[in-house]
Amino acid sequence: MNTVSRLRTRGIGAFMVLLGLVTALGFGLVSGSSARSSLTFNPVDLSASAPVHVGTLTLPTVIANVVLGLLMVALGVELLVRVPRRGVMARFGAVALLFFLALLLWAVRTTGPAPINFVNVTAVLVGASALTMVLIFGSLSGVLCERAGVVNIAIEGQFIGGAFIGSMVASTTHDFFFAAVAGGAVGGLLGLVLAFLSLRYLSDQIIVGVVLVTMLSGLSSYLNLQVLTPFPQYNTGNLAPNLPIPLLTKIPVLGPVLFDQTGFFYLMILLVAGVSYALFQTRWGLRVRAVGEHPQAAATVGIKVVGVRYANVILGGVVAGLGGVAFMASQGQFQPGYTSGLGYIALAALIFGRWRPSGAVVASIIFGLSLYLSYNLQTFQVPVSTEVLGMVPYLITIAVVSGLIGRVRPPAADGVPYRRD
Amino acid sequence: MSESPVTEAPVRASRRRWWHRFTTRSPLLVTIDALILGFVVGAVVIITTTASVLDAWRAVFSGWSAFPHACKITGDVVGSAYRAMFTGAVVNPQIFWHAVTTGHGWTVALTPLSETLTYAAPLIIASIGVGIAFQTGIFNIGANGQAILGGVAGAYMGSLVHLPTFIHLPLTLAAGIVGGVVVGLVPGLLKAYTGAHEVIVTLMLNYVVAAVLIFTLLSTVLQQPGQQNDISRNLEPSAQLAPLFGAASGLRVNWGLAVAALVVVFAWWFLERSSLGFDFRVTGANPQAARASGINARAVIVLVFVISGGLAGLAGIVQLAGTTHYLDGGFLIGNAGIGFTAITVSLLGRNRPVGIVWASLLFAGLGVGGRAMQAATGIPLDLATVIQSAVVLFVATPVLVQEIFRLRQTTAGEVRLATSGWGS
Repeated sequence: MNTVSRLRTRGIGAFMVLLGLVTALGFGLVSGSSARSSLTFNPVDLSASAPVHVGTLTLPTVIANVVLGLLMVALGVELLVRVPRRGVMARFGAVALLFFLALLLWAVRTTGPAPINFVNVTAVLVGASALTMVLIFGSLSGVLCERAGVVNIAIEGQFIGGAFIGSMVASTTHDFFFAAVAGGAVGGLLGLVLAFLSLRYLSDQIIVGVVLVTMLSGLSSYLNLQVLTPFPQYNTGNLAPNLPIPLLTKIPVLGPVLFDQTGFFYLMILLVAGVSYALFQTRWGLRVRAVGEHPQAAATVGIKVVGVRYANVILGGVVAGLGGVAFMASQGQFQPGYTSGLGYIALAALIFGRWRPSGAVVASIIFGLSLYLSYNLQTFQVPVSTEVLGMVPYLITIAVVSGLIGRVRPPAADGVPYRRD
Repeated sequence: MSESPVTEAPVRASRRRWWHRFTTRSPLLVTIDALILGFVVGAVVIITTTASVLDAWRAVFSGWSAFPHACKITGDVVGSAYRAMFTGAVVNPQIFWHAVTTGHGWTVALTPLSETLTYAAPLIIASIGVGIAFQTGIFNIGANGQAILGGVAGAYMGSLVHLPTFIHLPLTLAAGIVGGVVVGLVPGLLKAYTGAHEVIVTLMLNYVVAAVLIFTLLSTVLQQPGQQNDISRNLEPSAQLAPLFGAASGLRVNWGLAVAALVVVFAWWFLERSSLGFDFRVTGANPQAARASGINARAVIVLVFVISGGLAGLAGIVQLAGTTHYLDGGFLIGNAGIGFTAITVSLLGRNRPVGIVWASLLFAGLGVGGRAMQAATGIPLDLATVIQSAVVLFVATPVLVQEIFRLRQTTAGEVRLATSGWGS
């Protein structure tokens, strides 16, 4: 292991220590000694397959947050001293989760005799899981495209297209399978446009992607006014039903979060597993990565560079389109502009996750939680501005790409056009 | 605009030469053809989504006799949409002739043009900022964030300070520039010193700035007294850009247009005549050559973002001081964000000042005309965004345009890249 990556790991460790100290002091010691925080673990939907009952947990805020903060400091110190080779991002993810937990405890603290405020941990995780799922779809799409050397900045546009078509198809057929097929097809079509313009005509991939997003956002609000407003029956009642897995849903907290989800959630898990396996364990994956790192060398050994790129960009488009349908199915209908940059955050999750499916999952969980909390912390009457929390994904990404928290290295030929000569 | 060398033509051959030029690929011709294709795409979108047109064509399936009617309906719907767009953005000939003959109603007759120019002014400024960055090989997607913070900084200076106009207005505009520079410096310094890709940093900063905007609007300092919503105080009249023809004219076009004209002149001088501008263009054309000739790459990157961000900030404050006079949570958000439109404008104008002026007028006209079209025909104004992005997709893919129109090729195998991939 070279000195640069050791330095990078130490940087992450130092950042984690800092975050731990902020937690212990800012959310812990300042809270006041009489403050109490309550956590409940009930499932959101009490009627369906209720899990084993877990009682309310009431903690003294000061002690709880100081303990959490010290735990974060300990994890950071461990990185600083041991400088492990693997699992750095997993540790960072754990610290981020602890940070959000401390923030929640602090947000719901009550100083009166009887605890009135409480936070339902299960509800928070279930709520965040919908956003996380969409981000994972998007960043998986990015993994597929960028590992093959094509920057797909149009994920946001593929979300919009998938959500729009998905809503229309789901409304008319009342079948989410057809909605997923149609949404995936539209995403794939947009991927084809991106591939066609950037591979055949060597247009600038980033520019084409940005303009595609603009076009889709304009087209979707046009179609919304022209088609969906006069015919509201094409855009209604599309909340995907949950498909609880028997027995597993009984597990407290984890049951409702992981095993009482829509079909899209399970599909997402299968996709993550499939893409990680295929990309790193199969011949196909080796070829894709070769094309993304050194297309000339790949061509020399007989790999069809342009063909591989076409296939991956279209496949990535399909995955992002599915993400759009999944988002629509978690909201119940299509609304213009309601993806509000989720595609770009997915791109950020891809970079934060270092172009790996597993990393993208960790990043999406962190980003999904912080987004969910920033949308929903108002309900807890938090004195801190929720806008600040909403900045977290963006600031983390800026820190990551500039090497302040670790250095990322994209596929070497990412975004570089390939000429066959 | 044409880049092809024009040689002295013999009189005899001049006609054939004209035809030859008309069928040979050149930047101007590609732009014109891309515009045609963009409006064709718009027409297709209208035809496939308008109920009356679809009904008319459905009737054709029952009998050919309905065919002429279907054609007529199609032509009417598309024609009336584009006619409403034109009369709403440029001039309505009837109203104009009425004003000429009677001497009354000039305000109504000139309002479309005035609105287009009002929207074009900040667009020109922001697009020139994006264009200068593109010419240096840098993609500034963050112009919108820079413009928003320019507006915020200008709002502080314009609404909280009390000074006479001749000093207050320049200070307000300067505050806008400073706001844009501050946001622009982040990606500039990060790219120069850590190699962070500017596209990611500026994309992320747009969202950070959007959050900052809401945060400041809800702070008691800038919030309009007596308001709970995210709405700011009004700019003092001394900090506003006055209507160009006086408040009595009823036309909204304002001195922001003069600011835009100054920026165009500055940009032309900077890119064509100044040595720093030359360094910028060399860096954009060939970074290796630039480094070899001793150009300080880091300084160029930082300065590009200072200038590009500053112009975006100026665009934000011109928008604020010229039209709305107060900020709210919807300031430059979404499709209305001039910073995003500026990217497409700059690409259409090939990143050159004069081209950008024409492209800005066109896109501002499409936006204003789109609103008139929605009012007159019910076709949503978002069609303008669709046409704009289609035009730019075609402009960004000149070879595709060349193949569609079967143009002769002049520059064999030319690849022009405006950005660099993450990997390089």
